[in-house]
Amino acid sequence: MSAHVVGASSKLASKCPTGPLADRWQKHRFELKLVSPANRRRFHVLVVGTGLAGASAAASLAEMGYEVSAFCIQDSPRRAHSIAAQGGINAAKNYQNDGDSVWRLFYDTIKGGDFRARESNVHRLAEVSVDIIDQCVAQGVPFAREYGGLLANRSFGGAQVSRTFYARGQTGQQLLLGAYSALMRQVGEGKIKLYPRHEMLDLVLVDGVARGIVCRNLVDGAVRSFAGDAVLLCTGGYGNVFYLSTNAKACNVTAAWRAHKRGAVFGNPCYTQIHPTCIPVSGAHQSKLTLMSESLRNDGRVWVPRAGGDARAAESIPETERDYYLERKYPSFGNLSPRDISSRAAKQVCDEGRGVGATRMAVYLDFRDAIRREGAGGIRAKYGNLFQMYERITGEDPYQAPMRIFPAVHYTMGGVWVDYNLESTIPGLFVLGEANFSDHGANRLGASALMQGLADGYFVVPYTIASHLAGRKLGKVTTDHAAFARTEQEVRERIERLVNARGTRTPDSFHRELGLLMWDKCGMARNAAGLGTAIERIRDLREQYHRDVRIPGDAANLNSALEHAGRVADFFELAELMCRDALHRDESCGGHFREEFQTAEGEAQRDDANFCYAGAWELDASANGLAWNLHKEPLIFENVKLAERSYK
Amino acid sequence: MTRRLSSSLSSSIGKKALMSVTGLLLIGFLVVHLAGNLTLFSDDTGEHFDAYSTKLMSFGPLLTLAEIGLAVLFVVHLALGLRVTFENRAARAQRYALERDRGSRSFASSTMLVTGCLVLVFVVVHLLDFRFRERASDGLAAMVVRRLSEPAGVLIYLVGVTALGIHLSHAFRSALQTLGLNDTRFDRPLVRLGRVLAIGLGVGFALFPLILFSGARKHTQAAAQAPAPVEVPADVPAVEEAQR
Amino acid sequence: MSSDHAAHAPSSAPNAPHALRFVLHVWRQKNAQSTGEFATFHLDDVSPDMSFLEMLDVLNERLIAAGDDPIAFDHDCREGICGACSLTINGQPHGFERETTTCQTHMRRFEDGATLYIEPFRANAFPIVKDLVVDRSAFDRIIAAGGFVSARTGSAPDANALPVPKGDADRAMDAAACIGCGACVASCKNASAMLFVSAKVAHLSLLPQGQAERGRRVLSMVERMDAEGFGNCTNESECEAACPKGISVANIARLNREYLRALATES
Repeated sequence: MSAHVVGASSKLASKCPTGPLADRWQKHRFELKLVSPANRRRFHVLVVGTGLAGASAAASLAEMGYEVSAFCIQDSPRRAHSIAAQGGINAAKNYQNDGDSVWRLFYDTIKGGDFRARESNVHRLAEVSVDIIDQCVAQGVPFAREYGGLLANRSFGGAQVSRTFYARGQTGQQLLLGAYSALMRQVGEGKIKLYPRHEMLDLVLVDGVARGIVCRNLVDGAVRSFAGDAVLLCTGGYGNVFYLSTNAKACNVTAAWRAHKRGAVFGNPCYTQIHPTCIPVSGAHQSKLTLMSESLRNDGRVWVPRAGGDARAAESIPETERDYYLERKYPSFGNLSPRDISSRAAKQVCDEGRGVGATRMAVYLDFRDAIRREGAGGIRAKYGNLFQMYERITGEDPYQAPMRIFPAVHYTMGGVWVDYNLESTIPGLFVLGEANFSDHGANRLGASALMQGLADGYFVVPYTIASHLAGRKLGKVTTDHAAFARTEQEVRERIERLVNARGTRTPDSFHRELGLLMWDKCGMARNAAGLGTAIERIRDLREQYHRDVRIPGDAANLNSALEHAGRVADFFELAELMCRDALHRDESCGGHFREEFQTAEGEAQRDDANFCYAGAWELDASANGLAWNLHKEPLIFENVKLAERSYK
Repeated sequence: MTRRLSSSLSSSIGKKALMSVTGLLLIGFLVVHLAGNLTLFSDDTGEHFDAYSTKLMSFGPLLTLAEIGLAVLFVVHLALGLRVTFENRAARAQRYALERDRGSRSFASSTMLVTGCLVLVFVVVHLLDFRFRERASDGLAAMVVRRLSEPAGVLIYLVGVTALGIHLSHAFRSALQTLGLNDTRFDRPLVRLGRVLAIGLGVGFALFPLILFSGARKHTQAAAQAPAPVEVPADVPAVEEAQR
Repeated sequence: MSSDHAAHAPSSAPNAPHALRFVLHVWRQKNAQSTGEFATFHLDDVSPDMSFLEMLDVLNERLIAAGDDPIAFDHDCREGICGACSLTINGQPHGFERETTTCQTHMRRFEDGATLYIEPFRANAFPIVKDLVVDRSAFDRIIAAGGFVSARTGSAPDANALPVPKGDADRAMDAAACIGCGACVASCKNASAMLFVSAKVAHLSLLPQGQAERGRRVLSMVERMDAEGFGNCTNESECEAACPKGISVANIARLNREYLRALATES
């Protein structure tokens, strides 16, 4: 069952610069090749996805003079799922004079990621965080401000400094609209050609280099190739493999997975983030889960009844019979403990039978004390829109009774493996934002996803892409090249196979079944036996899927069932790899918790001696069926000391 | 620059701004017109009213110029109103199976074209009644009294001024919004002024047919019997459509 | 309801609320060229906890299982922020509930046994793609015409170099909350896009960053808006009432002001 392990491999040249950490990015930028302004228009860059990473990269590259084509599956680039991020964006501005610094943001991020990310990458992220805020403000992003007109900050996600910039509860929306406006400006000037409602279904390699993509026009079903000199995947994460997640319905792994199947190595697929404060599942019809901003934990107290099976209403449970378990277990961080820790604690108490609500799969987030302290008005001023959203979805008034929350899949730290230049193991294929594996290690801190997406798009790839464009001899390639016809043909065959299955079950029903399996076996807690079972089940289900899926209509139209079916097919393959990765990693770290590896107190037990590496999986093209080889990229910590991640 | 200006005035906002300006100017005229007309009630004989009209007529070419100006305002306002209405109908070819309003759409706002057209008809009648008709020997006031003592006359004038009042109740506020004056500290006073204007002008003009017809004023009979030798009076009525 | 797979939850909660019945008249249209018509569906097992789109999901699952074409509708985040959902319920974009998108509307808000007409957003500038899906790319083109601050990446001064009075920042944020769903156009009997355009113009003209392009921006955006075939504003505020983000028509007054100001100052 276990994969062939290749070991520290030349396949994975991280290209991290050496020398003092703080100088590395500057040094690297100087050493990077440049494409002269006059030559840039000769290079055509294909940007797939228009979220924070994609929109910012497309806009920045077009501003520099490159010819850019941008693709998105939504009807407008403005709808990419970055738009849903609520809380904020971190930056080491130290505007609050509370001791923040690039170093502290770097350290918090490395530690938050449970020491499973590259020092060089994370430091670069912290460095450019300050430029991001400047850039966004210049675009007109209406960040919250103080009466003096200066930018406001808040402490977020358990950080002990106030470094989070925010725009009410809509920070992602405002940042994305900023990047989108920059993108549309270039579209208006004719520098970017925009292809909405286009789904990338394959990557085209010419002489081993990424030279194009094959897309399906989702309106008329036409399969068409696009040639370019570099391909940027900015296609987000794969949380929807669990079916229920806080991701948008269209979020999928297909673009990244197709790149993987063309040879791009996939990094740390088992690292998934479960967000602790989501509205619990209400029934079998549930189509997605809604996040309640983590900021609620600043004032809400998390608790469950002390006794199992306590069915009394929350207000009739006396103080002494309540267990404020986060405050009890993690006295210094309490309700603000990091996401992975809070989520796992919630699962634990529910597993003990102490969950609340009709399904018993929820814990209370109680604002009673905060309302007593600040009045309902004060709480409404801070969280009014969130309370309203909760009331709308659940039909319960959170001013009267505590909210019920439960963890939900939220973000995937794993993704396509990239080097320091954000280039994958396929030359010319760059991967940005959540789609790559690079900066968050095994767990992402709150308000860091927006930071990474924009860092990659505005301030990293515009420089590092030159290493490819100027560093390699790129002959002229058009879609007339045989590789395009061949790839297009393969895409058409895959579509036909799905349409022609003419089975009995809907793609959605398979997706739900896969999701439930993944949640049970590869969710908040995993164990070897469960993962082994899951792999078997996934293979069975996958086989059944291709035999028994039912897609009405044909491929020459807008066909939402077909779109979904293609994505589910790729989720089925990814799911197996996630389980394999989780199974091989015999330690607990961040979002990956293996029940066999925990301390006496039930905390995650890392194994730095054996697992201090990024696990990067290469598809074994020679194998019959799906098989992978594992490559290990050792993580070298020269600047921080590996420590147990304690929030007690 | 002029090309820019003309093309901008034919833009959606330009057209609406022009409608607003012409509409507000016409409202201005109505205020003056009503004030002048009220002289009819200042005595029992209609002497003041006739004197006022004689004075107006004495302006000669200047008056003609003013009348042409008013006509231009009226025609521009009307033409833009029609154009905008047809463009708007064309912008949504297909209606919903159910239409349910929930904004501030009102009877007035949804009937601007109808009330505007009614006002147009009324203005024509009104002009034919008093402006383009041979001045009677007993003076304009007597003409007015006679006209508004007939049931048909009363009916036409009541319908006309009611349509005007309804039209104005959406028009003034709408014009302010279109001219961008709705978002300032003058917002409330201006809205109030709009209400006062719509009600004031509507009720003000309605007083004439109502009072004259009911014969509440003694001077009516007296004036009818005592012809006053007066020169041709002037009264340029114009009532118009402001905003759709 | 589909007896399918109850992901992550017991399939029947112990105190599951009783099911609701609805008669749905849904607009079906194969593509932009064809003419559409209403199709009628009877649902008698709708959970009050379902969102409106989840009810359509359930219906679609049945249609697929029966070999029929599922109802096409735009949707994505399902938390009221992406602006994808674009249908009208009984003639009202996003349904009757104020400041709520379709995806956030829950079936418990409807009366049991109700008849619901579900139609696409109707406007000539938003041609129908299929069923309830419309093409709103006109909005993108309006933004491309001028809905931005030209701040090239890398050219920004320090974020705190330019203080913005809190009131201005708050009002800019109020306007910037627009999700570009097009409900304003769909609710307006003239299919006017003024609320959408005004929200962006107001957002950027309120901020010091937006001043350099203030006049040019509004002239270009309005020119594009007109070219796209949207109607004229007749100040009836249906857009404001339909807007899921509560964008105020005061922004339209500001847009008008900005436009007239630009006419006077831009040469």
